[in-house]
Amino acid sequence: MSVREFNVIVAGVGGQGILFTTNVIARAALKLGLNFAQSEVHGLSQRYGSIRTELRIGSDVSSPLILEGTLDLLIALEPLEGLRQAPYISERTTVVMNNHVIPPIGAYLERFPIPSFDEILELMRSLNPKQIMVLNAYDIAKEAGDYLVANTVMLGAAQATGVLPFPEGVLREALEEVSPSRYRDLNLRAFDLGRESVSPPR
Amino acid sequence: MGDLLAPANTLEVLLGNEAVARGALEAGLNVAAAYPGTPSTEIGEALAKVAKKVGIYFEWSANEKVATEVAMGAAWSGLRALTMMKHVGFNVASDAIFTLAYAGVTGAMVIVSADDPHAHSSQNEQDNRHYGESVGLPMLEPTNPQEAKDFTKEAFELSSRYKIPVMVRTTTRISHQRGPVRLGEITAGFSKGKFVPPEPDRYLQVGAIARKHHAELLEKLKEISMDVSPSYAKVEGSSDAEFGVVTSGVAYAHTKEALKLVNVDAKILKLGMTFPLPEEVIGEFLSSVNTVLVVEELDPYLEMRVKAIAKDHAPEVEVLGKLTGHMPRVGEYTMRTVLEGLSKALGVVPPVNFAEIDRRSSEILKKVPPRPPVLCPACPHRSTGYALRRAAGRAAFMGDIGCYALLFQKPFRVEHVTHAMGSSIGLANGIDIATDQDVVALIGDSTFFHAGIPALINAVHNKRKMTVMIMDNRITAMTGHQPHPGTEVNAVGDEAPAIDIEKVVRSIGVDYVRVVDPYDHAATERAIREALKHDGVSVVITKRECALLTVARLRRQGQKIVPYRVNPDKCTYCRVCINTFACPAFVDTGSMVEIDPTVCFGCGACVPVCPYGAFEPQEGSLNWREQKIGV
Repeated sequence: MSVREFNVIVAGVGGQGILFTTNVIARAALKLGLNFAQSEVHGLSQRYGSIRTELRIGSDVSSPLILEGTLDLLIALEPLEGLRQAPYISERTTVVMNNHVIPPIGAYLERFPIPSFDEILELMRSLNPKQIMVLNAYDIAKEAGDYLVANTVMLGAAQATGVLPFPEGVLREALEEVSPSRYRDLNLRAFDLGRESVSPPR
Repeated sequence: MGDLLAPANTLEVLLGNEAVARGALEAGLNVAAAYPGTPSTEIGEALAKVAKKVGIYFEWSANEKVATEVAMGAAWSGLRALTMMKHVGFNVASDAIFTLAYAGVTGAMVIVSADDPHAHSSQNEQDNRHYGESVGLPMLEPTNPQEAKDFTKEAFELSSRYKIPVMVRTTTRISHQRGPVRLGEITAGFSKGKFVPPEPDRYLQVGAIARKHHAELLEKLKEISMDVSPSYAKVEGSSDAEFGVVTSGVAYAHTKEALKLVNVDAKILKLGMTFPLPEEVIGEFLSSVNTVLVVEELDPYLEMRVKAIAKDHAPEVEVLGKLTGHMPRVGEYTMRTVLEGLSKALGVVPPVNFAEIDRRSSEILKKVPPRPPVLCPACPHRSTGYALRRAAGRAAFMGDIGCYALLFQKPFRVEHVTHAMGSSIGLANGIDIATDQDVVALIGDSTFFHAGIPALINAVHNKRKMTVMIMDNRITAMTGHQPHPGTEVNAVGDEAPAIDIEKVVRSIGVDYVRVVDPYDHAATERAIREALKHDGVSVVITKRECALLTVARLRRQGQKIVPYRVNPDKCTYCRVCINTFACPAFVDTGSMVEIDPTVCFGCGACVPVCPYGAFEPQEGSLNWREQKIGV
């Protein structure tokens, strides 16, 4: 299988399982023998702040950082954090977005207005991405058994968009491999529910 | 995440830091010691996890200098030793390292410096390439995780061959880059060595002996610059190109792709050994082009040296870089930085319309509220900050390095300073001498052991008046939960004697010492008010484990995390909770405050904050203070 360049950002709030989500996609790339480079965030910068990991897959890739305007898949575990990736989003971008807004506590103290989800979606549309998939990942995760696995729900939804350069099933296998045994079944359940739930936005 | 012990000849996904650890294992590592610090931490975490299985010795040391000396001791006993640190950690260790270069080693020793361009998780953007030259340490710089593994392994071989320590310098985007790595055979293990100085004066650095060893070191480095450095220099691209780029580290990875995008005839000189530099190779490269752009993060380290070499080898070549304004000196490089620099140097329009991207996205970004890192929900430091604000609001607050540095933020603002490890107490000494203000120092448990104790001794001996808050969350939290001398287990999970902070403080002669649970806001406030009245050095130890540890343990025990809720009949929308406690689980709906159940850890610390008692447990909610969970 040959891929020249496929760029992914997983964005959210520190603590949402952003790194785990990206690691699953990277594991799928490894299983297929694809070249990739992934950039991640550790340390103080991850404490409930804006976090994004960048994953670049393909034979043309050497830099671990994505060039503005060249994003192929955005997985936004939190919608404000999705919107924060604006410089990377273009006509080639598929957006998979959780609809649960987590207001930054500092915004209240600075009196910075917090846009509603509908406003966020409108702003996202104005960037003309290829497609936007919206889901209520927390409700689906709860249905699977725990809020914790909202990230895996989002991963399932990302698979369902069909844009990932992997044959059917590889991502799920990667998830099975990367999951700690205690969470394996829960993660797979969440992944399947996420995959089934994808629907176009209102 | 990656399997550090995966078999040889397989491809494994490794973080750059894990790759460094694997490289050391493949090189026959025996002993490793470090103090955690972003972006270097995962090297030690990876080794800690496999130490017992592989049979190596690993410890989290009290600080970087001690870690270096532990590794030196092993390398002077004929073993293969590793120490690793963040860029500013190197400053702490440097006193030992400078003289180590004169002494050399009998086994092998590798020192990893993980720099942090952009200061993602640091107090500065220090460029540790300067250390290579000023100490006299050969320095290798990998450009991706594969090279991080290979270069670390080779660094051990070089160290063993030349009997001097070798440095591997990474940056955040190498340390925290994950990629496929082709593995080799693990040869690490442990057997006892013997401390036998190769010559009687080998480890006695004074006067004439030190001068003799200095001269020897310079000879070795000269030899390395001729015999080794050239093999780490690679030229790529079309040989008749008149435009060249000299680069190293992650900047090479950006450059390689950026050159394809600008689509010009160019060649790259990639330097894998940035000290000592291969003068002949660089000279030859410079004389083969008309113009050269130096692409490197932070200081114009290569650029200055390339210019010096050009003077002798290619006086006509035009050298562009930071000094000519083509490349920035602050922050980390991205594909964009390099594309813009290249386009400027070549006099072409950048292949991407960045102005249009900026115009479009800046409109949107204006509407996205910033989200800087904040203290986690249930963080004990939030409660300490809350009590400090109420009890000591007008003091001069000297902060330190740790998660609690975030208490500089609204609404707490109980850190006027965050500087260097242990500086809080040292600075409090100076501020107390110079002013009549109340002075409070805030320091974490791990930082206290690292560099706080000498400053506290200094304060007692010199009869200072100050209050020291030792915020003991029972772990090195910010870097991801490493044990320290105050914890009951060591790096590899064995039981270890825990040094009791209260006993240390009392033994120094501090006569006002209180230990409180910070969740008990009233008791914490009372202790702070008394401490401030005390004539002398007073210490308040706020003792409660990092909330992330508590939550992880509760989950492991199968305990359900049930969030608190706000009773809408009691909430008056006074916003006192947001304005004084600011837990990230609070949501302002415009008519009341709610708790986001996806964020709340169900600790109950917010309960006493509401004047109307609106925070309530739900069925199954715990109360960490009343039930003594996490203390």
